[in-house]
Order: sequence, then structure tokens, then C-alpha cells
Amino acid sequence: MARVVFEHVSKTFTDDKRGVFNAVSDISFEIKDKEFVVFVGPSGCGKTTSLRMISGLEKQTSGNIYIGDRLVNHLQPKERNIAMVFQDYALYPHMTVYENLAFGLKNLKTKKEIIEQKVKEASKILGIEGLLDRKPRELSGGQRQRVAIGRAIVRNPEVFLFDEPLSNLDAKLRVQMRVELAELHKKLGTTIVYVTHDQVEAMTLGERIVVMNEGKVQQIATPTELYNNPANLFVASFIGAPSMNFIEGHIDNGKIAVNGDTFPIPNKFFHGNALYNGQKVTIGIRPEDISDPHFSRQITNSSELQANIRVVEHLGNEKLLYFDKYGTNFTARVDAESEIRSGDSVKLNFNLDKMYLFDSESGVSLSREGGH
Amino acid sequence: MRKVSGKLEINSNVHVDPQLVFKERKKPSFYIGRTLIYIILIIWALFTFFPLYWMFISSFKDANASASLQFDIIPREFTLDSYTYFFQFNEEVWRWLFNSLFISSVITLSNVLFAAMAGYAFAKLRFPGRNTIFWVLMCAIMIPGQVTLIPLYVLIINVFNMSDTYAAIILPSIVTVFNVFLMKQYLTTIPSTLIDAARIDACSEFGIFRKIILPLAKPGLAVMAIFTFVGQWNDFFWPFLVTQSNEMRTIQVGLASFKFADSTQFGPMMAGSIIASIPMIVLFFSLQKYFLQGITIGALKG
Repeated sequence: MARVVFEHVSKTFTDDKRGVFNAVSDISFEIKDKEFVVFVGPSGCGKTTSLRMISGLEKQTSGNIYIGDRLVNHLQPKERNIAMVFQDYALYPHMTVYENLAFGLKNLKTKKEIIEQKVKEASKILGIEGLLDRKPRELSGGQRQRVAIGRAIVRNPEVFLFDEPLSNLDAKLRVQMRVELAELHKKLGTTIVYVTHDQVEAMTLGERIVVMNEGKVQQIATPTELYNNPANLFVASFIGAPSMNFIEGHIDNGKIAVNGDTFPIPNKFFHGNALYNGQKVTIGIRPEDISDPHFSRQITNSSELQANIRVVEHLGNEKLLYFDKYGTNFTARVDAESEIRSGDSVKLNFNLDKMYLFDSESGVSLSREGGH
Repeated sequence: MRKVSGKLEINSNVHVDPQLVFKERKKPSFYIGRTLIYIILIIWALFTFFPLYWMFISSFKDANASASLQFDIIPREFTLDSYTYFFQFNEEVWRWLFNSLFISSVITLSNVLFAAMAGYAFAKLRFPGRNTIFWVLMCAIMIPGQVTLIPLYVLIINVFNMSDTYAAIILPSIVTVFNVFLMKQYLTTIPSTLIDAARIDACSEFGIFRKIILPLAKPGLAVMAIFTFVGQWNDFFWPFLVTQSNEMRTIQVGLASFKFADSTQFGPMMAGSIIASIPMIVLFFSLQKYFLQGITIGALKG
């Protein structure tokens, strides 16, 4: 059993520039055994601090952390049975690949034959058998990354911790390593906690995703749930590329009034929510839910949007339209066959059934019942 | 490929004379500038080289002739008399060489060890008062050696009663603040994630220092070792102050005894200087790889 549990964990730092500040504020969650969980959020949101607290490299200011059934608050990193892969690989430059892989086991006084066997196994899994005599400086970025992962594998830990391991790789290699990591998780069946600021990485790798901002957990959910049912404005804006379009408005006699226009409120928003007259709301609409009427499938419940197209981007399989409306920038993702050009004034459809509604003041989603 | 009326036309049969490609014509001012730089550097090199050359040829002259300070660019005679004279001048010459070697080696080793440890602590470990202690030490660098010389002398000779001992020469230099500063600056450049990775890899704190930090700090340590050894080997004043007996002299103090009230034995003195410079030359060439690496790294990191 290698679940990871955070119970009201906080971490405060004292910094010359910022003084005393909370990197992580009272967060609680449970990562299940053998689960692949991704922490995602912008820089400084507390995701890496959380990971370092699991590893023991950073000690929490308050709260409890459990790995398996053990309370690990006062345990050193080496006593936690974890392994970590760092963003810059952190390979020891003066050691060969073999020595890098064997270093942790040697420190644990493992027998030489067992070290040899484990290094051999790990290097086979990662396809680095031919590199064992080389120094890290003689390896490419992808090979270094594999060695860093290999160093974690040989330890046979209960939990793997990954701190933005792909961010130093080029785009093509990143996609390749992403696939390899997903396969590795299947093969090893170990709990993985993975930190990234790249939401594509989070969506493709994570069984569940923890979205963090300003030291707090915004939502913990599966990628699909996160995309379809964001808990608040932050999650809605952070997940999805291009990101969701937002329109500020207010409730006016059972409709949403926006700059003189009105939109009907889909039925789903009346369940479990008390919308009241004058309530300030933010409409959220994903770019793919705005379409060119000539090329869109039958939409039962849609509304029209008059738009002056500023820029059209041709991506091959689709087109992105950029236009300004209600004082904000909009992005629409339309069919590649669409003939809309920059400078055109066109009517676009937007799918009311896919619309999101948030309370403007609290940022909380009105389209879902309850919070996280 | 040719550009014809705004269109690019690809012609695989075009032959380009390789002589015409990549030929850069330099202006005459470039050559004048270069020549001037070379002339200045050559003069500078001659000035630097001249004392060494004079020392070298003087050491092979007749011991008495060199005292007259007559100088020939090309030596007319070659004799090892000065070397023989040097070793016969005083029965303790070998002891002086040993003293210098022993003292310099101990001080170099202790500096390498302690400055690396202190530098590592200041660069990478978090502890209360780290910055305050470091800045107090930095202030100590600014105090000239002459200011602390008398208190140090009183402390070593009168308080600790160490007169005429190795400890009297070695203890004040066991680790210098400058070396701590040098190592702190160097070790700051080593990524902290390596230390984190070693902690995850079940390495003890001393193990991290020994197995990760020390091997990575080799270039910095080499620079420090050479500077410390050379500095200590050439030190004259402090060993001169705290030693009285002939057998406790270092080679630099011993060489001064070739100067008498009315004359100086330049030949034997130069022969002694040549011998005295051998350990430094050996040390430099054996650590040359790390030394140059360290200098470059320092330059790049600013």
C-alpha cells in the first residue's frame, strides 16, 4: 500500500523579497495506491513545494503527511522509500551512467550482485544498456532523462516523484517521453506523483489531476471531469488550449444580460443553484463550442454571435478565429473547410448546452453542484 | 540557386568557385591593430621572462663572478659551482627545503579541507545566522595583515609559547577567509538539485560532501591549492618572525642569509631560487588541467 495522504498541510517560507509567505496553505488530499496523479498549476502555485514535502526535502510547517500507512513528518528522504526525478535530471556529472544508477543502492549497503542485477533490469526497461560506461555529458537530453528515471527505478520505491521531468526536452522528444512514461507506469504499477505546469502533459498522463493556484488546491478530478466540469474560473481558464472564452454579465429576469444582449439560461443551471436577479455572473464558452454555422453539426440549443474576425490561423485540421466581443478577446475553433477570412463580419453559433456559468465574485462554477 | 526577376530559380548545374565563397577582406587597420597588440604582448612577455632568465643564467655562472653583477645576455660560461656552493653553504639547506615543503603542504591540505567544508556550508546549507557569519568573515578580509601581525605574534609567542615550532608557522594559516570565500563562490555554482538527488539516494550529509561536492569542486580546489601553496612557499616575513634556530628556517628565510653586510652571493642565491621554484612548477603542471578549468569557470560565472 503506497497511498500518499496530506492532512491540512501548510508550508511557510521566509524570503528576503517577499518576507513571510505561504507557499502551500492548508491542503488535504489522498493519492491512492498505484495511481498516477499530476499536480498542475502556474509558476509559484505550490506544486513543487508539495512534491518536495512528500520527498522530505522540504519540511511542512504544519499538518501531517502519510506515505502508505506511515506518518512521515519526521522521516528523512532516505527513510521514506521514495525516488525522485528532477527537472534538470540531477545526474552526478563525475560518475558514469552505471555509477549514477547504482549510487542509491550502494548507499543502502545493497550487495554488489543485487546492484548489478537491478541496474541491468532498469537499463533494459529504459533501453540504456549500451550507455552504462558513459558520463552524463556524453548523453543526449532524452538519454539523460532515461538515466534519471532509471536511477529512480532501481530503488524499487513505493512512490515515484517527478518534478517537471520533460520541460527541458524539445517538443518532439517530450511527446515521445510522455508516451514512454505512461507505459512505464503500466509496467511498474507504482504510485506516481508528477508535477508539471504544462496542462497538456497533465491531461494526457494523469489518472487524476490536482489543479493548484496560490498555494491552494483548486480541484482534484479526472482529466475529463476537469475539462467538462471545472470547479471555478481558475480551473476553467487553466485547462484547455486555447483557453475558455469568458463574458461578464448579470442575471436579469431569468436571462443573462451582457452589454445589452441577452442569453437564455440553460436548464442545468437551475438545479441546485439559487440564481438571483442582479447576480454578477461570468459565462464561459470553449473555443470549440463556437462554430461556423455553415460547417457545424446540428446544434439543438444555440445562440448567435456577431463577430468581426481579426485574425484567422490555419492549423491544417482546423482554423482558429480571433475576434473581439463584449470588450474581451475571443477565440473560436472552427472547421478547416470554413471560408471565414480575417476582416469578415460573420455570424457564429455558440452552443448553449456547452456553456459554463460562474459566479463572478467567488469564481465558483454554477453549473456543478457542490465545490471540488 | 539564382534570383531572377523576383523569383527563385533552382539550377543544379551552377558551379561556384570555392575561392570566392566565405572570403572575407580585412581592412588594413585590422592588421595594424593586430601588429600593435602583438608587439605590446611580446614586450610584456619579455619583461616577465627577463628576471627568470637572469635567475637561470646567473645560477650557472661562477659563484664569485655573478656577485659582480656583470650581465651577459648569452652566458659565456657554464658551471654548477653555484649549486655546489648553495648546498655546502649551510648544513641545514636540505632542512630548509624540507621545512618549506612540509609547512606549505600541511597548510595547503588544511585549507583545501576546511575551506571546502566552510564554503559548502555557506553556499548550500541553511542554518540560522548564515549570512551574518559570512559577512563578518568578509569584513575580516578587509583588515590588512600588518594590522593583525603584532597581536598574532604576541598570541603565538607569548600566550601559546610556540616560538620556533612548526605550529607557530602553520596554525595562523590553517584556513584563510579568502579561501573560504573562494570556495563558497565556486560551490554556489554547483546545482542544488545534485545535493537533493543525493539525499533522496540515501547519502549522508558528510557522504554528500565527500562523494558529490569534493569531486565536483576539483577545479576550484586546484586553484585554491596552487595559490595557497605558492603563497606559503614564498612567505618570508611570518616564518622569519616566529623562528629563531637555523634548523627551523624555511627556504625563503634561508636564502636571505646569502646576503651579507657588504655583498650578496647572487650565484648561489639564484641556484637556491631555481631549486626553490621546482616544487611550484611540479605542482602547477600536475594540477594544470584543473587549474585552467577553474580559471575559465570563474571567468564565465563572473
